[in-house]
Amino acid sequence: MGYATLLTLVRGMSGTEMSEPLLKVDDMSVSFKTDAGDVRAVSNVSFEISPGEVLAVVGESGSGKSVTALALMRLHPKNTETTGQVMFDGMNLLDLPEPQIRSIRGRDIAMIFQDPMTALNPVFSVGEQIVEAIRIHNDVSKADAWAKVVDLLQLVGVPEPKQRAAQYPHEYSGGMRQRAMIAMAICNDPKLLIADEPTTALDVTVQAQVMEVLHDVQEATGSAMMLITHDLGLVAGSADRVQVMYASRLMERGSTDEIFYESRNPYTRALLASIPDLESVKDKLDSIPGNPPSLLNPPSGCAFRPRCSMSVPQCAEAVPELVAFGGNHASRCHLATEIDITTGVNA
Amino acid sequence: MDEGSDFDVPEASDRSEEAVPLFSVGEVEGFSAEDAAHYASDELEGLSDAPKSFGRLAWTRFRHHRLALLGGIGLVSIVLMFIVGPMLSDYTFDQYDVADRLLGPSRDHWFGTDEIGRDLFVRTAQGGLYSLRIGLIAAVVATIAGTLLGAVAAYFGGWTDGFISQLINLLLIVPALIVLSVFSLYFGGDANRLAMVLAFLLWTRIARVVRGVVLSIKEQEYIMAARASGASHARVIFRHVLPNVIGPVVVEVTLLLGTVIVLESTLSFLGLGVQPPNASLGTLVAEAKGSIDDDPLRVLTPGMFIVLIVLCVNFLGDGLRDALDPRSRNERN
Repeated sequence: MGYATLLTLVRGMSGTEMSEPLLKVDDMSVSFKTDAGDVRAVSNVSFEISPGEVLAVVGESGSGKSVTALALMRLHPKNTETTGQVMFDGMNLLDLPEPQIRSIRGRDIAMIFQDPMTALNPVFSVGEQIVEAIRIHNDVSKADAWAKVVDLLQLVGVPEPKQRAAQYPHEYSGGMRQRAMIAMAICNDPKLLIADEPTTALDVTVQAQVMEVLHDVQEATGSAMMLITHDLGLVAGSADRVQVMYASRLMERGSTDEIFYESRNPYTRALLASIPDLESVKDKLDSIPGNPPSLLNPPSGCAFRPRCSMSVPQCAEAVPELVAFGGNHASRCHLATEIDITTGVNA
Repeated sequence: MDEGSDFDVPEASDRSEEAVPLFSVGEVEGFSAEDAAHYASDELEGLSDAPKSFGRLAWTRFRHHRLALLGGIGLVSIVLMFIVGPMLSDYTFDQYDVADRLLGPSRDHWFGTDEIGRDLFVRTAQGGLYSLRIGLIAAVVATIAGTLLGAVAAYFGGWTDGFISQLINLLLIVPALIVLSVFSLYFGGDANRLAMVLAFLLWTRIARVVRGVVLSIKEQEYIMAARASGASHARVIFRHVLPNVIGPVVVEVTLLLGTVIVLESTLSFLGLGVQPPNASLGTLVAEAKGSIDDDPLRVLTPGMFIVLIVLCVNFLGDGLRDALDPRSRNERN
């Protein structure tokens, strides 16, 4: 597919920082101050992303995945308090002055949003919006930027890109808009792409196409990607590493294979078990009983305890620590070492 | 599955792309993501013709809006008449001849004469321009101030919003006529300053509308997307928020222009606005009020112009709003 050749030309080799992580999040917590009290949306999360790597962040709604991403870019609402450290390119993003964080947004770290229907401004043509995104960070003429926009749209598979660039968002279909959003995100060759549920709002048939584009573009540019999703199917196909979040905490992290085949966390295993299976016919889909806990008033001990099929009295007493299992694999569970990873998750 | 041969491809519309096949789940073995990419792209409306520029599209939509076109033509003709008419007349607005007082319409005096024999047609034209000028200045100033303050209040929220909102509420409860009558003791004679006082009282209406609209716009994902691409607050407000406010603002401005003209007329009617020998549509009505029983035309003529101008402006605004919204298509023929 011609994507790769086109984009490798654009991007010079950066080479030097081989083993250095691109992004290093250290003990980050985010809390919202509300009238009802403080809500801890992210609790002491630490992770790293290396250059060119795809990290998937998985979890149910409200588990803190999107908040983590927004907090990295300092785009969260005003009533939030963020602690910890986010190192990117030798800078702590959390205490950079506003003009500097602005020059990083869109140039070094770009974001793709969940709902392509509302993520494009209805009163400007798609081309104009991408031109603007380019010109915020680059001193180029409108004509040059426009030429690049047409190339970008071609790259992400928008047919007749020349005509399409001059069209308005309402003249695009959902999948097209998401392609346009991807074009906009990669227009400045970011080092890190954050894709916040990029396919959630799309038809299933279009989802695969968009993921394909995203994957090709990410490979061609060599940028790292943080893929936020609740769809484990997407993860299996595209991520190098996975981290599972639940009720603001990191529950388990590891390589994609470790998470899918050797999971040491009851929550991850329950998530995997709830993936519908095409082979067996069932009247009812498997689900995890109960609802995610309220972050205003989280349960004592492990937040997953009330829904966990394996819980023991110890679970109510203390929040389990992350238990490491060699490599990058770690699980937050009191029983992590006792889980029999040889049995399939569907057992 | 052999690459699309047995799909029922609709012939219509698409020129270059294959159509998305309908398949049942059972058939998808071997249908990889790569194949999916080949069958690329969702709905394929073929592009019928080259996209038109925004200006051209807006003009096309505006042209198809009959009332708006009527309003625009009406307004232009009225203004032309006000400008050209007095040039064709032998009289000026302050030239009087007591011998010719209170004449009815005639070939010489098209609208008749007033109590001291001034030509009413020339006075109506001059008064009309005066009213329009005050209305226009007041509406423009009120719109700029109201839009900026309303947008800033809603966008930043917090104490900024609190301060501006309270200011708006304060000005809204101040009775306009009383403030105006106090101010006009000082400003009454001068059109520009009178317009400023009117703008000072009326920007709150625009600000309230804009604040409401921006409150909803700022929650849209494209605002977050703009911030995520590195745009500053000022850039987000001017490039992404305000263009989305144009529709409701245009409508409010046309209503405002009407209000200003009526308010100025009211003031002038009360003797607090435009001072003689100048005239505005309001003073003309006021001057003629005594003769409404004998000669109603002398009251009705300037009054009718007030109504006509306000109506035309409102129609115009309606059409502009539709024309400037890229989402509205010209379905009308």
